Amino acid sequence: MKKVLAILLALVMVFGVVACNPVKPTETPTEAPTEAPTDKEVEWDGAYLEEDDYKAYIKYDLQNMYDGIVDELTADQKTAVDAAKKAGEDAIDAAETIADVRKAYKDAFAAILNCVPLADGLISYSNSNNDARTTMLGILEKYAISTGITGISLFEDGGYQMFNPRITLGTETYIVGYGFGTLAEGAITADLDYEENADWKRYYHTYESDDPGTLNYLNDQGSVVGDLYGYIAASFFTTFMNETKDGYDWVPELAKEKPVAVNDDDNDGSATTWKFAVRTGKDGLKYTTNSTIASRAAFNNREVALEDYETAFKLLLTQSNQLYRGSELANSTTGAIVGAKDFYNGTAEGYSAELWDKVGITTFEENGKEYFQVTFSTALTQFYAMYYITSSLYQPIPQEFIDLVTVQNYLGYNLDATETPLDNALCLGAYAVENYTQDQQIVYKKNPNYVYADTKYQIGGIHFKIFPAAKEDTEAALNEFLAGHFDAAGIPQEHLDEYRNDPRTRTTKGTSNFKINVNATNAETWEYLFGENGVVTQTPKEDYWDVKPALGNHHFIQGLNYSIDRLTFATARGSIPSVDYLSSNYMSDPENGIAYSATDAHAKAVKQLVDNTDGCGYSLELARDYFKVALAELEADGAYTPGTKENPTVISIEIAWMYETHEERYHNEIKRLMEEAFNDESVTGGLYKLEVNFWVGNTWSDVYYNKMMIGQFDIGFGSISGNALNPLDFLSVLSSDPEISGSFTLNWGCDTNDADVYPIVYKGQRFSFDALYKAANATAVVNNGQNKASLTFDYTEIVKNADGSYTGSMVITPALPDLSVVTVTDVVCCDYERYYNGDEEYEEESVAFEVKEENNTYIVTFTVSVELAAKYANGNGTSEEPEGYTGFDFYYDFELDGSLSSGLYYSVEDYFEVE
Amino acid sequence: MTKYVLKRLGLAVITAYIVLSLTFICVKLLPFERPLGGDAVQTAYFDKQYHLGYVQRFEYENPSYGELLYKTKPDKGRSYYYYQVPVLEQYGKWISNIVTKWDWGYSKNYQPNVAATVIIGSRIGYSMKLNIISTLLAVPIGILFGIWAALKKNTMTDHTISTLVMVFISVPSFVLISFMMRVFCYNLQWLPSTWPADTAPFWNRVKGYIIPVFCLSFGSICLYCRYVRAELCEILESDYLLLARTKGLTRRQAIVRHALKNAMVPVFPMVLGEVLSIMGGSMILENLYSIPGVGKLFILSLNYRDFDILFVDMAIFTTFGLMAGVLIDLSYGFIDPRIRMGAKK
Repeated sequence: MKKVLAILLALVMVFGVVACNPVKPTETPTEAPTEAPTDKEVEWDGAYLEEDDYKAYIKYDLQNMYDGIVDELTADQKTAVDAAKKAGEDAIDAAETIADVRKAYKDAFAAILNCVPLADGLISYSNSNNDARTTMLGILEKYAISTGITGISLFEDGGYQMFNPRITLGTETYIVGYGFGTLAEGAITADLDYEENADWKRYYHTYESDDPGTLNYLNDQGSVVGDLYGYIAASFFTTFMNETKDGYDWVPELAKEKPVAVNDDDNDGSATTWKFAVRTGKDGLKYTTNSTIASRAAFNNREVALEDYETAFKLLLTQSNQLYRGSELANSTTGAIVGAKDFYNGTAEGYSAELWDKVGITTFEENGKEYFQVTFSTALTQFYAMYYITSSLYQPIPQEFIDLVTVQNYLGYNLDATETPLDNALCLGAYAVENYTQDQQIVYKKNPNYVYADTKYQIGGIHFKIFPAAKEDTEAALNEFLAGHFDAAGIPQEHLDEYRNDPRTRTTKGTSNFKINVNATNAETWEYLFGENGVVTQTPKEDYWDVKPALGNHHFIQGLNYSIDRLTFATARGSIPSVDYLSSNYMSDPENGIAYSATDAHAKAVKQLVDNTDGCGYSLELARDYFKVALAELEADGAYTPGTKENPTVISIEIAWMYETHEERYHNEIKRLMEEAFNDESVTGGLYKLEVNFWVGNTWSDVYYNKMMIGQFDIGFGSISGNALNPLDFLSVLSSDPEISGSFTLNWGCDTNDADVYPIVYKGQRFSFDALYKAANATAVVNNGQNKASLTFDYTEIVKNADGSYTGSMVITPALPDLSVVTVTDVVCCDYERYYNGDEEYEEESVAFEVKEENNTYIVTFTVSVELAAKYANGNGTSEEPEGYTGFDFYYDFELDGSLSSGLYYSVEDYFEVE
Repeated sequence: MTKYVLKRLGLAVITAYIVLSLTFICVKLLPFERPLGGDAVQTAYFDKQYHLGYVQRFEYENPSYGELLYKTKPDKGRSYYYYQVPVLEQYGKWISNIVTKWDWGYSKNYQPNVAATVIIGSRIGYSMKLNIISTLLAVPIGILFGIWAALKKNTMTDHTISTLVMVFISVPSFVLISFMMRVFCYNLQWLPSTWPADTAPFWNRVKGYIIPVFCLSFGSICLYCRYVRAELCEILESDYLLLARTKGLTRRQAIVRHALKNAMVPVFPMVLGEVLSIMGGSMILENLYSIPGVGKLFILSLNYRDFDILFVDMAIFTTFGLMAGVLIDLSYGFIDPRIRMGAKK
């Protein structure tokens, strides 16, 4: 018996080992046999589709490009473009091989580009009206779709929401960009029996999957903390539902009036400086805290002082506070505040009163009223001035409170967790924190000091249950709702049929469009972006991603796009099918609540995705045809060679998802749709095989931070939401330049600052995506259609002279020499690095320098005397021990188109040889 | 005996030191992963690591130093380069921080800036309470059923108990808790469907213990029952018990005075072993029932690459594990006087 058991045990162990280390299936060679395929009927020059069909698709590309620019051409340009297009079409018709067709397309493409001059100069369209902004948005969207950097949209996250009958919604019809007004205009008409605490029975009961451990949205990038913080913080302005309950109005919250232009010199309604009266203690505005710690409780009902408004910005923008949203504000291109970036950059070691004086934020009293004034770097209309200064991040806060709780603990726990976010927050919003029990619950109570406490937010409080089961189990929240424990819940896919028509169910619009984002780079672009010296991130050679040539072919991406049956896919999952990049939440006219998705500009941009499909971008026929077009081109490029029916060439693509549950929920269906479209006998006759594989990380955010944001992916699932009221600004995330995108780019492909990749024409000039984006939102320095830095610096290392002194040089080149004047005011050598490392007190000394203007450049030559070189070299390391590196700062004033910025500097590192 | 105890304790300390050192070094040898977040977050994190002594910062590229972990975006021409300090150097710094400052580090991603010891400390109480209660429940019930089955060996009672034990030991805990939640929380609505918050009324919190305690103790009850039955069955057929009976003891006297005591020799250490799990909690149970314990924290700390939390977790598990081992060894002497450890020959 023992022997039998021993044998059984051994078998089990062997089985276990095998199960844990499955035998790797024999890999299908991707290298194709050298001989030409014999089991496919070659119809036209090796292509997988008829000559006329191939030509038709390429001509469609040409027409699509033409449609994208024609409305912005001048009459002369249109004539020239029409001729170039006609010539291109004729050349395509006459072509005899695939290579000829592609050449004809490229020639026509180049000829059309040549018809339109590249933009140059200092350009700003930020002050444009809504129609012009919508037009620019449409142009940029069309470019993004045509170049494949929008990824493949799947669905809008709206769908079905169930509400407890005790909740009276503000409106029964969902308002895009606002919602149902559940808390602001809604009411609760009965107790929640399940709630044991008598005071909380009329609170709105909902949940969060995880306890974020903080309410500090100032230092958080996610949406959970932002949502939680939004309830307890107030803004200068806010929105409430309109009287007809079909839209919303902007109203002052902390402000007492809408912004008034200070310097609208040309009376066009736009200005850089805006002021508005704000509420303070004189108007009865007071802070609220429910903390029982005496030092915190002392701030309860403390009056808001005018200087508290400035303190909020100082807190956010002081770099040493290391607040993420401060960095974001300082580096924002749209709605940038004058001096904010310089203040941020100059406060690495702490607050600087001198720099603060140059920031475009002031508060003052005038005629008995207290004002807040802000100066933006570009002129804005009243609405956008109001929009850009409206954020709960700017809620006033007393400096004494920050000193008491410390920046590190503000709105969060202290290091020994004896203070919770309840103790370290002061609330001016509709609610105040009432209870924060870690990993269990967060409870908010109506704030009696809220500006609109008497008329809005009549629901007494909000109870957030920390409910991790919701992450693992899609039904968990619904079960809680049905048991009467939560007041609202979404309907999971499995229960849609059961509850879709339930009287408790309401339909919602989405706030975000979920997509599968694509890495469409080639090896060269990938290395430029993510390689060892990548501009986005740096990757060791051994970790380089194996980019898939197929994904770099736009026709292949189109094939994937057309293969998704969104209507069936999204509807079955309770979502809204969508082929759009932006959800219906994004506004073309935010003041009047007109959605961008309803505009002609948008319809024109997405035409190519929905033409000849089911209306949601699905057409199996088109998908298969585009795969054929793509394969013909990929083969012509030498990227792939066909296999045989028995041993097909495998194109293997990995899709990265957020959760394990996504495999069943989304992946399997997407995989089926893509594979069925591509692997159909009619496409390549079985010479190729598409394999779509599943990937998931340890945490949901891995798909962003460890995959898409660093280029380690083929396709990744996800979505980014942005300023719904300013979609033109939100398009920053499509830029391949991390300076513009804030490193939030998910789709990678072409260089978006290359004006020749695909034409973008606006007002008769040709732009790169980055240049038009920047010009549309701020002021762009445009050179040859590209967005440029206004100055570039080129440093030449110091060399030792015969007398022991050192000489080095710096070449400063303005992007727009005709509009630029650079005045170098000083060159210093300093021990910044040693100071930064805490080794020494900071010290700097001026050195001799001279400036020569030559060929539109400024050449600064500087000489460090023997004594000075010895001082900064001696005792500070040697060339072998490079801790002795010395900093050189070049101080300069810069005038661009008459606008002077002074006290700027550029730094380099170098070292002196030590004998 | 004192010498033996001291020796065992000394060995436990050395073992803990080795385990923790190996954990630290092995984890640090894993490929480095940046924290989640944008540039500001990255820079802040690396600056902290620099001040903790785990990375070195330069204002220039220094390829000779080691692995480049991060480079800040150039700002007015100035960039910072962060390099990995050699692992053993980091190890020295880690030991020094613990010994001199009792500083075990801070959470990186899970709860940024909060001390790892505080995060564990705030959760361990829930797991301990749950497990102590379930152990207190499981031990007597499991032993009683084991004794009953042994005494009724090969009867219908024995077969029923043994079958039920096999059935229930095979049911995974998540199935059990899901079933219980469905019946008692959602259908009958007798019990709370999630762990009641600390602010909930007393009776509600008591009710909150029922499902997790039941689910946690179920497996243990079956296990104790099986072991006790097996041991007792063997002892009941042994010669010395027969001798005891022939010397005139009643069956009850023989069982209580001799059989049970000997049957407990292998069972008692098993109970002590269960104490180890007091700290461990149950990942699945805690997730499904929203219990803020340490069970899922261990996995979370791995998922979030929050290795400072992981090290504290490991330190606690190791210490308790080793202490339990020492206690188990010592307990043998008390249960069975024939076993004398550390005694001179």
